[in-house]
Amino acid sequence: MTGTGDQPPGVPPARPDDEDEALWREGVKAGIPTLFGIGAWGLVVGVAMVKSGLTIVQALGMTLLVFGGSAQLASLPLIAAGAPIWVVFATALVVNLRFVIFSALLAPHFAHLPALKRFLLGYTAGDMTVALFLQRFPSEEPARGKVSYLKGLLIPNWTSWQVGSIAGVFLGSAVPPEWGLGFAGTLAILCIMVPLTVNKAALCGVLVAAATAVLAYELPYKLGLLAAVLVGMLAAMFVEETLEKYNIGKRAKSGGGEHD
Amino acid sequence: MTEWEIWVTIGALAVATAATRSSFWLIGHHITIPKRVQEMLRFAPACALAAIIAPDLLLGAGGQLSLSGQNFKLIAGLAAIAYYLFRRNMLETIIFGMLFFTVLRLSLA
Repeated sequence: MTGTGDQPPGVPPARPDDEDEALWREGVKAGIPTLFGIGAWGLVVGVAMVKSGLTIVQALGMTLLVFGGSAQLASLPLIAAGAPIWVVFATALVVNLRFVIFSALLAPHFAHLPALKRFLLGYTAGDMTVALFLQRFPSEEPARGKVSYLKGLLIPNWTSWQVGSIAGVFLGSAVPPEWGLGFAGTLAILCIMVPLTVNKAALCGVLVAAATAVLAYELPYKLGLLAAVLVGMLAAMFVEETLEKYNIGKRAKSGGGEHD
Repeated sequence: MTEWEIWVTIGALAVATAATRSSFWLIGHHITIPKRVQEMLRFAPACALAAIIAPDLLLGAGGQLSLSGQNFKLIAGLAAIAYYLFRRNMLETIIFGMLFFTVLRLSLA
């Protein structure tokens, strides 16, 4: 009841603590059900890396530095075929584009941290981490223990991925090539691709991209792949816009756009 | 690729991870991505993944289109998609698809 308050005007209230032991434990607990699947996915990528012809040291370097399963799997057939480095880079970039959306959602929660810390947190935040974090903290408002919770998700996730992946590298080099274990990488990509195919437009894009990739397979420098992505994406956007126009037209005809 | 080219490629892939995952973190403040751009960012990865696996599933050993029952990868791939749509579990789908592929390969080859 002092009236004037303790703080001079213009000074924002103190930010709640970023670190909190209880939130760290809560994050770890939230991530546990996903860890087995993450480890197995790492295992598949580990096997695929050595099966596509990388040496053990190269495969270990790739898993530790790149830390991106779908981009790694995507790059392997290109590396094996001797595609130019910029084509491999462009392909990985396109496969990773979904992370741009995720990072735009997650980053504002941590804008107050030092740059290096932000960089590292972003680098290690994959699909699962982002989904679980936003379930717990849907709002960008400051809240106690946000960093602890994120770390509770990130660190076990990173560890189980790396353990699985390194095990896969050694397992893969021990298994004979006739088993066709490299096919597990293709199956893993299917499992990432299917949930990304969210609607009719995306399905159309996927089919057009697949057909283009097969037809353009003989193009030099593996350019058929990038052509397929471009054509598929344009097809998906065209279908999306056409369906939208059609729906708006239908609504207008049925008298007024307010009801659905 | 030569040894050093593979290492340069690995470095480039690390840059691709950083560019897509960390760039917005370094910008910091809230940014709203326009709807059309979001669509592109959503559609492109699915198209890229389809373009990567399509040749493995649809082309025979000689690089020719193979849509027959002799193409075990295609059959196993379609069965795996059906299984994934039914169960929504990556690990089970990979195991199912590999078993399906191996049984086809051993019994029909």
